Amino acid sequence: MSGIGARAITTEGLTKRYGDTVALDGLDLNVAAGEVYGYLGPNGAGKTTTIRLLLGLHRPTAGRAELFSVDAWRDPVEAHRRVAYVSGEPFLWPAMTSAETFEFLAKLRAPTRGPDGRDVVGTDVAYRDQLVERFQLDTRKKIRALSKGNRQKVQLIAALATRAELLLLDEPTSGLDPLMEMAFRGCIEEAKARGQAVFLSSHILSEVEAVCDRVGILRRGKLVDEGTLEQLRHLSAQTVEVTFEGPAAELPELPGVAVTRAGVNALRFEVTGSVGPLIAALAEHPVATLTSREPSLEEIFLHHYAGSGGNVDG
Amino acid sequence: MSTASGIASAPRTSGSRAGVGLGPARALARRAFRDARIRTISFAYLFAAIAYIQPVSYRHAYPTLASRIAFAHSFADNKAIRLFYGEPFDLLTVGGYSAWRVGGTLAIFAAVWGLLAAVRALRTEEDTGRMELVLSAVIDRRSAYLAALVAIAAGVVILWLADFAGSVLAGLPAGGSAYLALATASVVPVFVGVGAVASQLAPTRRIALELGGAVAALAFLLRVIADTSSGVAWLRWLTPLGWTEQLRPFTGAHPAVLLLPAAATVLLLVAAERIAAGRDIGTGLLPARDTADPNYRLLSSPTAQALRSERASLIVWLLSIGAFAYIIGVIAKSVSSAGISKGLQKEFEKLGSGSILTPIGYLAFVFIFFILAVSLFACAQIGAARHEEADEQLETLLAQPVGRRGWLGGRLLLAACAALVLSLASGLLAWAGAVSVGISLSLPKMLEAGANCLPVALLFLGIAALAYALVPRASAGIAYGLVTVAFLWQLFGSLLGAPKWLVDLTPFAHVGLVPVQAFRGGAAAVMLGIGVVAAVAAVEVFRRRDLLGA
Repeated sequence: MSGIGARAITTEGLTKRYGDTVALDGLDLNVAAGEVYGYLGPNGAGKTTTIRLLLGLHRPTAGRAELFSVDAWRDPVEAHRRVAYVSGEPFLWPAMTSAETFEFLAKLRAPTRGPDGRDVVGTDVAYRDQLVERFQLDTRKKIRALSKGNRQKVQLIAALATRAELLLLDEPTSGLDPLMEMAFRGCIEEAKARGQAVFLSSHILSEVEAVCDRVGILRRGKLVDEGTLEQLRHLSAQTVEVTFEGPAAELPELPGVAVTRAGVNALRFEVTGSVGPLIAALAEHPVATLTSREPSLEEIFLHHYAGSGGNVDG
Repeated sequence: MSTASGIASAPRTSGSRAGVGLGPARALARRAFRDARIRTISFAYLFAAIAYIQPVSYRHAYPTLASRIAFAHSFADNKAIRLFYGEPFDLLTVGGYSAWRVGGTLAIFAAVWGLLAAVRALRTEEDTGRMELVLSAVIDRRSAYLAALVAIAAGVVILWLADFAGSVLAGLPAGGSAYLALATASVVPVFVGVGAVASQLAPTRRIALELGGAVAALAFLLRVIADTSSGVAWLRWLTPLGWTEQLRPFTGAHPAVLLLPAAATVLLLVAAERIAAGRDIGTGLLPARDTADPNYRLLSSPTAQALRSERASLIVWLLSIGAFAYIIGVIAKSVSSAGISKGLQKEFEKLGSGSILTPIGYLAFVFIFFILAVSLFACAQIGAARHEEADEQLETLLAQPVGRRGWLGGRLLLAACAALVLSLASGLLAWAGAVSVGISLSLPKMLEAGANCLPVALLFLGIAALAYALVPRASAGIAYGLVTVAFLWQLFGSLLGAPKWLVDLTPFAHVGLVPVQAFRGGAAAVMLGIGVVAAVAAVEVFRRRDLLGA
C-alpha cells in the first residue's frame, strides 16, 4: 500500500453536464488510502456519474478526477491498475460462464510491475475460490442463465479477488438477498483490515452505517454534507423526548430547538447544536421522563432532503 | 398525436376478446411499429430506388427493339445472370425486364426484412425481458402476438407502396406496377412466418436470426438451382423466392400463385402462435445449454475475447461467401459470347469489367458482389463493436486496465484480418468451382481477384469506424447506407447516363476487376490510405467521447 495519507481518490471542481442537465456540480472529494467512504444520495443525484468520471469513462466538463494521483481521463489504464469496479447493473458477457468471466477479467489485469518496482495487483485466485464458496455461486452456469443477484455476485467476486488498493462499488448489493448482503459486509471488513480503500456508493443506509468510516451526501450533483458519522450526528438535530407529570409545560422559544407535541403530556424536541439551553429551561418544570437519542443516518439523510422534493431525475 | 398511454387509459367499455380491451394491444402495436421505423424507412427507400432505376436504365441502355432482341438472345441461356435475378420471362418490354430485375433483387431484401421484423418484434422482446413486463399488463399472449403482427403488416404495406411508387414514377403502368409490387411484397409475410417460428424455437435472438437466415439461404439456393440447372424447374415451386417468379408480373400474370405464400404464411404464423401459447416466456423450444465446463481459450485480451464471441458469426460469413463463390465458379462455364453483336458487347462493358460474356470475364464482373459482401461484413463488425458498447459490457471492460485505443484498435485489426480471410476465400473457392468444371484459370490470379476486395472493404471499415466514434447510435445506418448507395451507384450510375465524374464518386468505380482488368494499385493505395486515416481518426475521436448506452 502507499504511504500514510496518500489519496486514493481526489477530485477538484469535478463537473459534468449532459446537454442542459448538470449531473455533477463542482465536486471536491478526497478519499484516503485505506479509508471506507460511503457515498449517499437518492436516485439521480449524480452518484453513478461520479463513478464514471472517476473511471474516465465519461469526460469531465470541468475539473479533474484522480485515482492515486493519476488523472482518470488522461491515463485511465494506469489509473485502473490499482482499482477494481463493481457497477450497479451487472453488464457481463451472456454466453460466457462465471468461471470464464473470472478468467477473462483476471487476464485483463495480469500483474505488472509498477514504477516503484513492486508487483501491482493481479488476482488472488485462492481468495477468489474462497469467495465463490462463500457467495455460493455455480461457476459452470452461463451468465445469461443467472439471476440478477447471481450476476451481481460474479462482478463482486471478480472485483474483491483483485485485492486492488481501491474498490469502487456502485450500489453493489442491489439484487443480493440479506444473507449475501451480510457476506458482502464481511468482505468489506476484510478489505478494510487489509488496508484497501473502499468507495461505496449506495442508498442502503444501514449498509453504509455499518461499514463506512466517512460519509458524503450528494444532492442534485452537489456534496451537501460530509464527515464521520459522529460529525454528521453532531451537526444534525438530535431528538429529545420529554414526558411531564401533568400537562406539557409551556417553554419559551429557544434558538435551534423545534418543538412538536408527542402526546397529551409529552413533547418532542429536535435540537441542533447544544442541548444545554433546553435542559436549563426544562429544569423549572416537573419532568417525569427524558429520553434522548442520536439521529440515525436515515434521519440525517432525510433531513437533507426534507421539503426539497428529494431527487432529481434524468 | 394521441399517445399510447392516452389510449390505454381511455375509459372504453368494449369488452371484446374475453374481457381484454383493444387499448393495450393497440398501444403495443404502435410501440412495435415505432421500434422498427428506421429499418422500415431504409428498406422502403431501397425498394423505391431499385423499382425506379431498373426500368429507367433499361430504356436508356436498350432504346430500340433491335437492341432488346439482341439483349434477350444473349440472356436466354445465360445462367450466370439468372443466378442473381432469376429466370427472365420476357426481356423485350420494359415491364418484363423490370419484373425480372426488380422482382429478383427485391425478393431477397423482402425476405431479409421479414425475418428481421419478426425476430425483432418477437424474440428480441423476450430476450431483453420486456415481454414479461408487457404480459404482466392487462393483455394476453395472443393479443400481444397479434399486435406485433399488425405492426409488421403496416411495414409490409409501406414496402409495397415504395415498390409501387418507384415503378410508377419510372413510367410503368399503374396496374402492372401494383401487381409487381405485390409479387415482391408477397415474400415478406412468408419470411415473417419463418422468423416467427424461429423465434419460438430459438432461446436467443442470435440463434433465431441464424435459424431464419439458414431457411432464407436454403430458399435462395433452391431458386438458384431451379433457375440455372436444366430439368429441375419444378424446384421453383418449393421456395418462396420461386413463387414470386411464378407470379409472372408483366408477363402473363398468374395471380392464383398468391395462394401459396398466403397459405404458407397462415400455416407458419398459426404454428408460431400455437407454440407461443404453450411455452414458458423467455425460453425457446430448443434447449439452451446453460451450463458448461470452462473453456479458457481466447480470453487473453479484449481482442481475443472479441474473436471468441464473433467466432460463430465469422464462420457463417465464411461458409456463405465460400459457398456462393464456389457456385459462381461452377456456373461461369455456361457464359458465352457466341451470337452477341459487338454493339451489345459494348453495352455490357458499361457494367464495369469489359466483356462479361466469357467465363473469366464473368468471374471478374461477379467479384464486384464479393467486394460488396466483404464491405458489408466490415460494417457488421463495427455494428458488433457498437453492440458491445450499447449493452454496456464495454463499460465493464474499460473499467479494467484496458485502454480505449487498444480495444477499438484491436477490434479494427480483427475485422481487417477477417475481411482478408473472407476475400481470399472468395478467390480460392471461385477458382475451385471453376476448375472443377474444367475452366482453365490461374489460382494466383483468382487469389488476387479475392484480395482485390480488401481495399474497398477497408475503406468502408475505416469510414464505419469513424461514424461509430462520432455518432455511435446512427453508425450502423450510416455505414450500411453508404455501402449500399455506393454499390447501386456503381451498377446504375453509368446506365442512367450520369457524367463520369459523378459515377467516379463511388469507390466501386475505382476497382480494377481482376483477372480481366489489371489490379489498380494506385486507386487501391488511395482507398487503403483513406481507410487507415479514418480508422486512426476514429480511435482518437472515440478516446475523447463519453461511452453511450443503448
